[in-house]
Amino acid sequence: MKKLIWTIVVIAIIIVCIVAAVFGFKGSSTAPSTSTTKNQEPSTYKIGVIAPLTGDAAVYGEPAVKIYQIAVDEINAAGGINGKNIELVVQDGKCNGEGAVNAAQQLVNVVGVKAIIGGFCSGESLAAIPVAEAKNVALISPSSSSPDLTGKSKIFFRDFPSDSSQGAIIAQVAYDKGFRKIAFLQEQTDYSVGIYKAFSEKFQQLGGTVVKEEFPTAEKDFRSQLTKLKAGNPNAIFVDSQTPAASEKIFQQMKDLGWKTTVLLNDVAIGNADLVPKYKDILEGAIGAEFGVDPSNPKFKHLIDTYKTKFNAEPPYQSYAQTEYDAVYLIKDAIASVGYDGAKIAAWGHQVKDWQGASGLITIESNGDLVGGHRPEMVKNGKVVPYVK
Amino acid sequence: MDIVPQLIANSIIAGAIYALIALGFNLIYGATKFFNLTHGVLAAIGGYAMLFFTKTAGLSIGISVILAIALTALIGWVLDRLIYKKLRERKASQMVFLVASLGAFTCLQAFLAILFTSQFQTLSVSSGDIQTFEIFGGIITYVQAIILASVIAIMIALGIFLKKSLFGKAVSAISDDEQVAKIVGINTERVIGWVFVIGSAIAGLAGILVGYDTGLEPTMGMSLLLKGVIASIIGGIGNVYGAVLGAFLLGFVENFGIWKISGEWKDAIAFTLLIIFLLARPQGILKR
Repeated sequence: MKKLIWTIVVIAIIIVCIVAAVFGFKGSSTAPSTSTTKNQEPSTYKIGVIAPLTGDAAVYGEPAVKIYQIAVDEINAAGGINGKNIELVVQDGKCNGEGAVNAAQQLVNVVGVKAIIGGFCSGESLAAIPVAEAKNVALISPSSSSPDLTGKSKIFFRDFPSDSSQGAIIAQVAYDKGFRKIAFLQEQTDYSVGIYKAFSEKFQQLGGTVVKEEFPTAEKDFRSQLTKLKAGNPNAIFVDSQTPAASEKIFQQMKDLGWKTTVLLNDVAIGNADLVPKYKDILEGAIGAEFGVDPSNPKFKHLIDTYKTKFNAEPPYQSYAQTEYDAVYLIKDAIASVGYDGAKIAAWGHQVKDWQGASGLITIESNGDLVGGHRPEMVKNGKVVPYVK
Repeated sequence: MDIVPQLIANSIIAGAIYALIALGFNLIYGATKFFNLTHGVLAAIGGYAMLFFTKTAGLSIGISVILAIALTALIGWVLDRLIYKKLRERKASQMVFLVASLGAFTCLQAFLAILFTSQFQTLSVSSGDIQTFEIFGGIITYVQAIILASVIAIMIALGIFLKKSLFGKAVSAISDDEQVAKIVGINTERVIGWVFVIGSAIAGLAGILVGYDTGLEPTMGMSLLLKGVIASIIGGIGNVYGAVLGAFLLGFVENFGIWKISGEWKDAIAFTLLIIFLLARPQGILKR
């Protein structure tokens, strides 16, 4: 009898494992399945990818890898670069420095890539730069926006704007609305710190005051911090988190505490298609700034349509989707014109001018930053619209 | 505006959540004397089971709660039978138990992430007004009131049950000395099995309530567990009332600690409290 029970338990566990494995493969179809089978011969250009595939920030990394693969499949189908195919090697940067260093070590020293798309998070890029620099490997980030990355290295460039423009624009709009005191709730990540610095510098320069509370990434209980900030009677609260998960907890707990005020948002929050409708009562009138998309751009339209047919859904975070797609093509053009050489690819990247991509005309300054930047937006009737006074 | 009433309310909410974890952890620790890391992920499993039963299967809340708690209790029991029982038979060291439970913790957490994605999800319906109560100027939501009521009910029930029933006497005999308990005729393995069932069921309930209050993530287990463990240690490990007392003390110290200084110090404050207790009063507030 006892033996029978044990047999049943063991069989049940095996079944569960098989089901989970099937689920798992379905869930992680992000791995480059099509190109690896095609490119068994060593004559491929290996391009590294560092993106968060686990943790809260996996919500960015998973779609990013899908989009890289779309671009790579297109390039390979059109004949690759000088007849050679591109092969992606994806590593999990975990949206933190430690993860990114491990990922970069693997890509640079073990796989031996000459160009890496990533990191995704600013913390990943800041940590991966020294590893890549040691072996002259080019890094292009489609999303890292920390102002600390400006002019950081001659091997790093980005087709996404720095947050110095985002923070300053929101500060200007808030001040123009008559706000003089802002409560600031900031996650302890490089991205969020970058926005805080840019915002508070501009806002204080204009004559306002900023009261800041910080929280570590794993924090779940914001009630006492919110209680404190609320007691200071600010005109608005700036919720500056790295991922929508933290923002959601904060909005939920603001509701629990019955705090109604104007919310200022960073681009990962206002750019999140689910967040605004889900918390539309607390976010009505919220202000943010985003590196927007141009739906009339044919390359952008093509990207969205391809993604839709392939995955049966709109790509999330479209302002990242466009720069992710462009990053692959930038690397392709770089290799085509200067060869598979990290230092040369990076040098090419630092002088891109009026390059036509899904995110519009891309021009990169000599400090590695994209020219141009964020536009102010607001939440009106539960929808994100361009800001009007 | 006076923030003290709200800080008190926040402290009680935080304390109640820690207490729910500490109660189950303490019960299992009392009987088995090992640091059961899987206790944290069992809370997450409870929450996700609830998510599955209510949102995917579309069952009513009452049935879902029972099923989710039963499933968590079953998984806790299976873990004990499959892993910890074998280790006990082999008289494995504390280190082996710790590593084995870390392995099971990581495995189950990965499982949750694969099945339910690592996206943040909530059990509650987020739109619409939240029912809140105001007590002396502090605001507490309906869910938080349930959390508080559950803690008190479980504490009293568990306290009486362990003290009065034969089962409770067996548990305390095992925690005094497992070998002697066996010699005097207690079926120790059966008792420990039930301890895992009850402890895991409490963890499952904790996960469900946290899912309604803050929300669910596969990685939620570790931080919940750590706070629950701190609460157990400062309250008095193995003592039911001690766990709850320790949890509320921790809640108050954390939330009042950041009154005048910035909130990122919260974890530092919690662990400082732990170290102070370990040095000055290692047996905790209440001895067994």
